[in-house]
Amino acid sequence: MLIRSFAVALLLPLAALAQDRRPILMDVTQSHILPGYARLTDATQTLRTTAQADCAPESAALRAAYSDAFDDWISVSHLRFGPSEVDDRAFSLVFWPDTKGFTPKALSRLITEADTAVQTSDAFAETSIAGRGFFALEQMLYDPAFAKLGSSDYRCGLIRAIATDINRNARAIDADWQGYAQTLTQPGEGSRYRSDDEAMQELFKALSTGLEFTADTRIGRPLGTFDRPRPNRAEARRSGRSLRHVELSLIALRDLALRLSVDHPGIATDLEAAFDRAIGRAQSLDDPDFSGVATPQGRIRIEALQQSILDIRTITATELGPTLGISAGFNSLDGD
Amino acid sequence: MTNRRQFLKGLAAASLAPVPGWSAVGAPDFMSAALFPDGSYRLAGLTATGDVTFTLPLPGRGHAAAAHPFYAQAVAFARRPGTFALVIDCATGAEFARLTAPKDHHFYGHGTFSADGTLLFTTENSFEAGQGMIGVWDAANSYARLGAFSSGGIGPHDMVLMPDGKTFAIANGGVETHPDTGRTKLNLPTMRPNLTYSNLDGTILEQVELPLPLHKNSIRHLALHQDGLIAFALQWQGDVAEHPPLVGLHRRGGPVRLLNAPEAQQAALQGYAGSIAFSPDGASVAITSPRGGTLHRFDVESGAFTDAFALEDVCGLGAGPSGLTFTTGTGQIGRLAGSGARITAQTGCQWDNHLVPVGVEI
Repeated sequence: MLIRSFAVALLLPLAALAQDRRPILMDVTQSHILPGYARLTDATQTLRTTAQADCAPESAALRAAYSDAFDDWISVSHLRFGPSEVDDRAFSLVFWPDTKGFTPKALSRLITEADTAVQTSDAFAETSIAGRGFFALEQMLYDPAFAKLGSSDYRCGLIRAIATDINRNARAIDADWQGYAQTLTQPGEGSRYRSDDEAMQELFKALSTGLEFTADTRIGRPLGTFDRPRPNRAEARRSGRSLRHVELSLIALRDLALRLSVDHPGIATDLEAAFDRAIGRAQSLDDPDFSGVATPQGRIRIEALQQSILDIRTITATELGPTLGISAGFNSLDGD
Repeated sequence: MTNRRQFLKGLAAASLAPVPGWSAVGAPDFMSAALFPDGSYRLAGLTATGDVTFTLPLPGRGHAAAAHPFYAQAVAFARRPGTFALVIDCATGAEFARLTAPKDHHFYGHGTFSADGTLLFTTENSFEAGQGMIGVWDAANSYARLGAFSSGGIGPHDMVLMPDGKTFAIANGGVETHPDTGRTKLNLPTMRPNLTYSNLDGTILEQVELPLPLHKNSIRHLALHQDGLIAFALQWQGDVAEHPPLVGLHRRGGPVRLLNAPEAQQAALQGYAGSIAFSPDGASVAITSPRGGTLHRFDVESGAFTDAFALEDVCGLGAGPSGLTFTTGTGQIGRLAGSGARITAQTGCQWDNHLVPVGVEI
């Protein structure tokens, strides 16, 4: 019997032995995911009613509601699986990066044609995703190019339509999560996650791709190269939110990372220290729209912030992943 | 074409004697990049039975390669988004030429030669414009850059020369990337991959898209049968809960046929096909999925799924003289024979994504 147990043990990754994943799956779902999407629903509801009350782009109340709702999206923006991906909901909330300038084109088209789709939420939901969501609303509120285009009545209707559509998508994701919570916490044959390991992999992937997106895209895109920095490519630069998005995403990812590493205090400590370093760097950086990428001094600090996220990624990939029994092969990891 | 080819072979033998042909390097059936047990990345020549006929050092992890039709010359591409490729003399390991992508371009890791071997074509990203390009290089003149033309889409990955020797099939994967942001996919909600047929000068002859609900299914790798049938392998960029087909067949002027395994097997692929190949007789077509650890085979005539083989980290796949040959990231080289998968060699190498056919008759 002893010999047999030994032989079986050899066939399993050591770390995968005797790990009960259900408590972590439950905790992440109940304390990280569901509250995040509930907050987004509430904040986008406020955004919607605020836009109904006052649609002036420079309205302090509207801009504050916009900022709060966008904050709550960024805090769940790493949870890109399941309900967020149905019907392109997440892409309809955030069409970014917009490498071909589809958002200004879509907005210009709606305004110059005075498209009546803004009159009902069903019709507006059928229009181009590039002209919807937080980035479309940002241009309507902050970009001088849209301050005078078309009639003020139409612009007002468009702002209200976008706000309503944002709330509609947030509510749809939130509603689906009420059922999807069970999918994620009770894997099994016939379910989307056939095993607890697969459900854990989904959460681990959310952490690693979230870190990757913040480092490579939120920071990497404006950084460009030393010879060709790209300040105009910073995320939500018009509303001066680029750095804020990095900070908020790191705070949300820290919460997820600590919940995933709860059974491994040593790794949790390493992760927490690395996250705190990165968040500290973000908080001490006085460059809200990353325009500093164009100056040598500014670049150094933004590159240091990016590097501190790469340090978190290293711990995630080399310590947390293997400990959770998540590893990948030479080709399956690489992809091309 | 045969006469011209015979002529060129004769020419190579007579006037370019110092440039050896493939027989001089053990007549490999394939080339593949690998991580070797000593930690070095190398390009290797492989026979269908699993013998390694040569190995050459690479400066970093390789991806695919292009084999010169006559000379034992390999163009080894770095993993994307690499900006250089090496033309290596496979007999000596010497660097014959170095291809540097033009400013604002990078390679995607695949390419093909013209039938007479005088021109090399490479898939490239013109990343500031976000447009796919095909670079043209003068293989007869130290691989000087001759120019480039549009690939007919975004993110061209694999390309093959059709049996007529005058037409390319190009897999425009549709995914826009920029070296500033690594492999981050910048345009998923709007991506629209296509299969483009063009002349050697870039004139587009035909383009095929998948139905709109499949617009996030990236057309990535190609296989060609001698009768002109193209098979393409797909990589799904949409919701992983969906399990769309990952194999397509197309013949010029005809409709696309998409092939599916039963739901349970299809789900196991995890939306990712790494390589694709026809069996030598063209009766079956197969894909590998390293993420699913599986190889799927289909009947070309009926389109029916015939079998699945569980193979850990399987990716490289090619038509050998006597059947489909595959490689894995765990060092296995094997062959599909009849209804079974047979491991013919267990090596210490981690074989990379692709098996590139060498000396295939065009």
